[in-house]
Amino acid sequence: MVLLPRLKSLQARLLALLLLLVTVVWLGAAGFIWVDASDELGELLDGHLAQSAALLIVQQTGQGIGASDKGGEDTDEVADAPSLHKYAPRVAFQVFHEGQLTMRSANAGTAPMAQKSRGFSTVQLGDRSDWRVFAARGSEGDIQVFVGEQIDSRDSILWAVLKGVLMPLLYALPLLAVVGWLAVRDGLAPLRHLSQVLAQRQPNALEPVVLNDLPSEVEPVVHSLNALFERIQAMVAAERRFTADAAHELRTPIAAIRTQAQVALGAGSDKAQRDHALQTTLAGCDRASHLVEQLLTLSRLESSSNGAPVGRVEVASVAQRVAAELALTALAREQELALDAPAKAFIEADEMLTSVLLRNLLDNALRYSPDGARVDVSVTTDGKQVSLRVEDSGPGLSEAEMARLGERFYRVLGSDKTGSGLGWSIVRRIAVVYQARVAISRSERLGGLCVTVCWAAVPEKA
Amino acid sequence: MRILLAEDDAMLGDGLRAGLRQQGFQVDWVRDGLAAEREISTGDYQAAVLDLGLPQKDGLDVLQALRSKKIATPVLVLTARDTVPDRIKGLDLGADDYVLKPVDLFELGARLRSLVRRAHGQVQDLLTCGQLQMNLAARQVLLENQPVALSTREFDLLHALMLAQSRVLSREQLEQQLYSWGHEVESNAVEVHIHHLRKKLRADLIQTVRGIGYTLRYNQAT
Repeated sequence: MVLLPRLKSLQARLLALLLLLVTVVWLGAAGFIWVDASDELGELLDGHLAQSAALLIVQQTGQGIGASDKGGEDTDEVADAPSLHKYAPRVAFQVFHEGQLTMRSANAGTAPMAQKSRGFSTVQLGDRSDWRVFAARGSEGDIQVFVGEQIDSRDSILWAVLKGVLMPLLYALPLLAVVGWLAVRDGLAPLRHLSQVLAQRQPNALEPVVLNDLPSEVEPVVHSLNALFERIQAMVAAERRFTADAAHELRTPIAAIRTQAQVALGAGSDKAQRDHALQTTLAGCDRASHLVEQLLTLSRLESSSNGAPVGRVEVASVAQRVAAELALTALAREQELALDAPAKAFIEADEMLTSVLLRNLLDNALRYSPDGARVDVSVTTDGKQVSLRVEDSGPGLSEAEMARLGERFYRVLGSDKTGSGLGWSIVRRIAVVYQARVAISRSERLGGLCVTVCWAAVPEKA
Repeated sequence: MRILLAEDDAMLGDGLRAGLRQQGFQVDWVRDGLAAEREISTGDYQAAVLDLGLPQKDGLDVLQALRSKKIATPVLVLTARDTVPDRIKGLDLGADDYVLKPVDLFELGARLRSLVRRAHGQVQDLLTCGQLQMNLAARQVLLENQPVALSTREFDLLHALMLAQSRVLSREQLEQQLYSWGHEVESNAVEVHIHHLRKKLRADLIQTVRGIGYTLRYNQAT
C-alpha cells in the first residue's frame, strides 16, 4: 500500500495493486527466462561451433592429404566456401595449414580471427561487431581452424524467445484490468449496498441494519454499526423517558398547588376544608422548592464533574452533623435514628458534597420507612477504606426496584411519599465524582434497605 | 354523577377529589393502575379521570385493557405528558379527552360533564323531559320554567333517571350511581329520595315498575 499513491477508491487501489503485481511477476519470469535461455543457448551454440571446427579439421586433414597427392598446385589458392543460408553472413570460419590460410568463408578476413589457438574467445572483428570464436588445431599441429559466430545472432534468438513471453503480457494487461475491475466491483457490491442502505436511512432511524448474505468481511462492520445504533437508541430512550418523567415530576406539584388553592377558594363556609386545602398548598410549595433544590444540585454536579473540589473530609463528623439535622424530622414521626461512628475516618472528597450525599441517603431511609421505624447509620474504617452504612427497618426494595434506583425521577411506585425522585441520582453522581462504590442490599439486621458507600481511606495528615 | 379518579400523587389526588366534590360530583379515588382498571370495569362510573404515570399499571395500558374489554366508560386522561405523539397515542387508545396538568378544576368539571353528556347522545348541557329541564353546569332543575330546589342526592337521582330516558333503573343501579365509597347507604335511601322528588316535582313523573325499579314517564301530558 505504501508503494501505491493514496487512491481514494478501494476499487482503484485493489486494481492498481493487482496490475502491478501481475506486471512484476511477469517481468520477473521474463528475466528468469532470459538468463536461463541465454545460458542454454550459449552452450548449445558453442557446442555447434566446436562441432563445426572439428568437422573442418577432419575434412581439412583428408583434403590436405588428397591435395598433396594431386601435386599441390592449388596450394596458393584460398578456397571460398559458398554462402548457403540467411544466417551464413553471421557465421565465419578460417582454416590455416602450416600457417597459410587455405580456406575461409566469404565474410572472414585473412588475419586469424583470434589470438588464442585453442578454445573459445570473444573478439571484435572488422565492422566492430562482437564475435564468438572457437579455435582448434589438428592433431598434427599443422592445421589451425577458427570458427566464429556473430554474437548479435545469439541476442536476436534470445529476443525472439522473450518476445514470446512479453507479448502476451501486453495484450493480457488491459484484459486483466477490465476483468479485475469487474471482479473487484462485484466483490465490493455488499459494501456499496451497505452505504446505499445507510444513505437512505432517516436521520433519526435507529433500528438495526439488516442485510442478507453478508460477506464475512463486512459482517463485523454491520455488527458494530448495529451495536452503536443500539447504544444510541438506549440513550435516546433514556433521554425521552427523562423528559417525560421530568414533565410529570415538575407539573404534578404545580398541578397539586393549583388544585388545592382552587379548592380553598371554593370551600365557602367549610372552614375545615379550606384550612386543609391551604395546608396542602403550603406543603405543595415546599415540595416544589425541594424538587428545584435537588434539580439544581444535580445539574451543578453534572456540569462540574471534572472540576469538583477535593479536600480532606472526616466522614464520622459529617454523618453526625447530618444525622443531627434530620433527627427532628425523625422524631416527628417517632422514628429511631442511631449513629455509630467510633473512630475518625478520612477520605478525599468535598465536605459539602459528602454531606449532600449523606443527607440524601438518610432522607430516603427516613422518608420511605413507616412511622416508628428504625434507621441505623454507621461509619467504619479499616485503614484502607472507609465504609458508610445506612440501614432501615422499612419495606425494602425488590431486585427490579433496586436496579432502577438512580434513574432520574425514578420513585418506588406505590409509595405516597413526596420525594423528588432525584436523591439517588445525586448520590450516584457524587459517588462517581469521588470514586466511591455504592452497594444496595437487604438489611440483615433491620429487614429493610441497606446502603453501603465505600471510599478509599486517606491518612489524617498528608 | 359518579366519577372515578385515578391519580397516584397524594396532594393532587386529594385536591382533585375535593374540587370535583365541590362541583357536585361523587368521586372515588384510586392510586394505582390495577385498581383503576378493576373499578372502571364495574361500570358503576359515568366517567373516569385517568393519570398516565400510575404505579402497577400505566394509564395507557389501563385504557387499552378497558377498551379491549369493550368497556365504553368515558375516560379523561389527565397527564403531564404533553408531546403530540403522546396525545395522539392516548386518544387513539380510546381516551375521550386529553387534558394537561395543571388543569383548572372548573374546566375539568365541564369536560367531565361534556363527556358524560356525549356518551348519552346529548348535544347540550341541558336535559329535557317534557316540561322538566335540567341544567347540569348550574345544577338547576326547572319544571314548567319554575326552578325547583333539590338536594344533591335528589338531583343526582333525577339526573340518572333522565339520562336513562325510558329505561328502567333498579334500586341497586341507582344506589351505585349516587354514592361514592365510604358512604353508608341506608336500605330505603333510594325510596326516600324518590318520595321527596315526587313531592317536589309531580307525583306521576317517576313511575315505579314493581319488582324492577323506576323510570321517568316520557309521554306525560304537557
